[in-house]
Amino acid sequence: MIAAILRAQAIGMRMGKRRGAALSALVAVLWYGMWAGVACAVFAMAYVAQPSALREYAPLGFLAVFVYWQVAPVVTANLGSALDTRKLLAYPIAHRKLFLVDLLLRLTGAGEMVMVLGAGLFGMLANPAAGNGRIWPRAVLAVLLYLAFNLLLASGTRSLLERLLSRRGVREAVVLGMLLLWVAPRLVMVSGYRPTWLGGGAAALGAAPWPWGAASRASLAGGSGGLALVTLGAWMAAAGWFGRGQFERGLRFDAAAAQARPSEGNARREGALERFYRFPAWIWRDPLAGLVEKELRSLARTPRFRTVFIMGFTFGLVVWLPMALRPHHGDPGAVERNFLTVVSLYALTLLGQVSYWNCFGMDRSAARIYFTIPQPISRALVSKNIASLVYIYVEVLLLTAIVAALHLVDGWGQVLETLVVVGICAAYLMALGNLASVYYPRALKPERVSGGGTSSRFQGLIFLLYPIALLPVALAYLARYALDSQAAFAAVLAVAAAIGAALYWVALDSAVLAAGRRREALIEELAKGDGPVDTD
Amino acid sequence: MPPAILVRALRKSYGAKAAVDSLDLEVPRGSFFGFLGPNGAGKSTTIRILTGLIPADSGSVEILGLRLPEDEIEIKRRIGLVPDESLLFDRLTGLEFLEFVGRMYGLERAAAIERGRGLMDLFELPADRKIIGEYSKGMRKRVAMAASLIHHPELFLMDEPFEGVDAVGARLMKDILVDQVRRGATIFLTSHVLEVVERLCDRVAIIHAGRIVTSGAMEDLRAGGQSLEDAFVRLVGAERPAERLSWL
Repeated sequence: MIAAILRAQAIGMRMGKRRGAALSALVAVLWYGMWAGVACAVFAMAYVAQPSALREYAPLGFLAVFVYWQVAPVVTANLGSALDTRKLLAYPIAHRKLFLVDLLLRLTGAGEMVMVLGAGLFGMLANPAAGNGRIWPRAVLAVLLYLAFNLLLASGTRSLLERLLSRRGVREAVVLGMLLLWVAPRLVMVSGYRPTWLGGGAAALGAAPWPWGAASRASLAGGSGGLALVTLGAWMAAAGWFGRGQFERGLRFDAAAAQARPSEGNARREGALERFYRFPAWIWRDPLAGLVEKELRSLARTPRFRTVFIMGFTFGLVVWLPMALRPHHGDPGAVERNFLTVVSLYALTLLGQVSYWNCFGMDRSAARIYFTIPQPISRALVSKNIASLVYIYVEVLLLTAIVAALHLVDGWGQVLETLVVVGICAAYLMALGNLASVYYPRALKPERVSGGGTSSRFQGLIFLLYPIALLPVALAYLARYALDSQAAFAAVLAVAAAIGAALYWVALDSAVLAAGRRREALIEELAKGDGPVDTD
Repeated sequence: MPPAILVRALRKSYGAKAAVDSLDLEVPRGSFFGFLGPNGAGKSTTIRILTGLIPADSGSVEILGLRLPEDEIEIKRRIGLVPDESLLFDRLTGLEFLEFVGRMYGLERAAAIERGRGLMDLFELPADRKIIGEYSKGMRKRVAMAASLIHHPELFLMDEPFEGVDAVGARLMKDILVDQVRRGATIFLTSHVLEVVERLCDRVAIIHAGRIVTSGAMEDLRAGGQSLEDAFVRLVGAERPAERLSWL
């Protein structure tokens, strides 16, 4: 039965087009190649380390694995693959079997951590100075228990977050809560404030009772390895109880009821929103105004977009604020000098995954409308780009207000510079995004924060494209830095803008031609039914 | 006046399999035309070609005297489409969707809103904040049909328009369609419910394995007192002795 479910998923995920398979393989090679490099480095460090260093740093290594495994999927809003239980509940399948399949899917999303843990284990066992080879069964068992602990915990966390993020009005609060958890320690660190309990807390974090501490002690020779193994087993059992419990609750969860809208709304707020949705008609004529208006309404009502929008003006601050607040001697650093621009560009890239990289993703099978209405497809693409740009600029304005309140804006000139730079970068990114939307369309689940979007490998490719797309603007900053001239900056920026505009129109033409040529494949891809498993 | 739909030697294949093969079809203006066939016969492929969603491999298509794909935009302007799956934007309310469609067909915003409100009333759809994603299947079909009417098209292409609609809704939709034909519109619909086709349509074509096996007036097809279902089963060769599985 488990094999049948996994086979159905494998068939569903099979890439039909050779080009898609080649791209997927390329990104997989790059991604796992990078992690293979990390694993080799971990092996080398574990192999040459002195026993005292191993005892000191092994808990930190296990902690790093834990943090990456548990936190990275949450902060990147990419929760990986999981069972779509709604489709499988109709069949007489025991819940424990479904849970097992879910765990196997969790494992597929953490291959890089398995590689790193395995490399670290082999390094420690082969280390001639440490003498761990004698206790290899215990060390292997410890690492396996640690893997199982992380796997079970990640499964439970995913189920819990999926439910919380599905609840109307709760998901945004959850995102902000996660954000605060993420930002608070970093802000405390950069502020220079050191509470007295912090030293004790840091020491306690590496102590044996924690799973990473127990895993470290159990996999190294000497000390109370047996007790550490029991501790680790207890952690695994607790994670299993949590994971299975959350999975069961997920099975009983009624997403439709959680997402139901209240029948009565706030008339004043709705009036303001209605004016916002109607504003395209002041600037453009129909049908473009109608298309932009539709897009503004749809995106604003899409939970997935709303959540990423909130992340855009909060996560950016979280990521970059510590760098800007870092004490420095002499001139401020590049990030601090251009803080507003940096966080705005970060927001631009973040919003891309739910807008311009996959323009038709949220419409899913309804994207066929664009091919049945008496309008050219170019209008649909341009309207989607305009709507994305509108929300990007709303995001930039919010960021400007927050950053100004933190006194990190250097006058109106910097605000203007940010608006221009974001616009130019958006032209490059949307040019590539329109092509990606036509060549690599993928249906997005609007009500979910993750899942069913661009594949994680395609996301990897996007990360490779960002430096290329942002290079012309980076050259403008380089010119200003190297020549110490505002005029040089403006001149290079103007050239970048002209090239960006030309690139946008050429790419749009190309995307329109491809949309006409590939309309059948595009529609088919967007209308694809889901298999028994939701994937990223 | 040219026919509403004129198809000659149409072919569309997927790999080695021809979904539509040498298909000839003529739909006179002002007719209520039923396009029937068993599952996988090529009905939806034909409608998708007629609406410009997919290109044909060969053959010619004329709609309302205009050639496809050369006059694609003008053809789209003059047809109303009710697809098999709801072609709806889930995050808009019913009224917002009707307004959007009206504007796409060149109506002024105010006119689109006014017509949208009228259609919401006519199809007994709730004029509240409920978005289409929260509609039932039957309500989605009603919105889709309302959207196909908003620009007052000359020709309707409908793929299973009554699927999932309750008896009251189906009656309402049928009345509206009959009224449209009375006013000179042409309706081209597919349906698996042969009783509906028998009652509404004056002309019928049956497609099987990508080819038209019969086409003509409903009375001619039912000559000899047989029902449409009898004729259908006879023409698509579905009459075979009931097979039994030993384990069943």
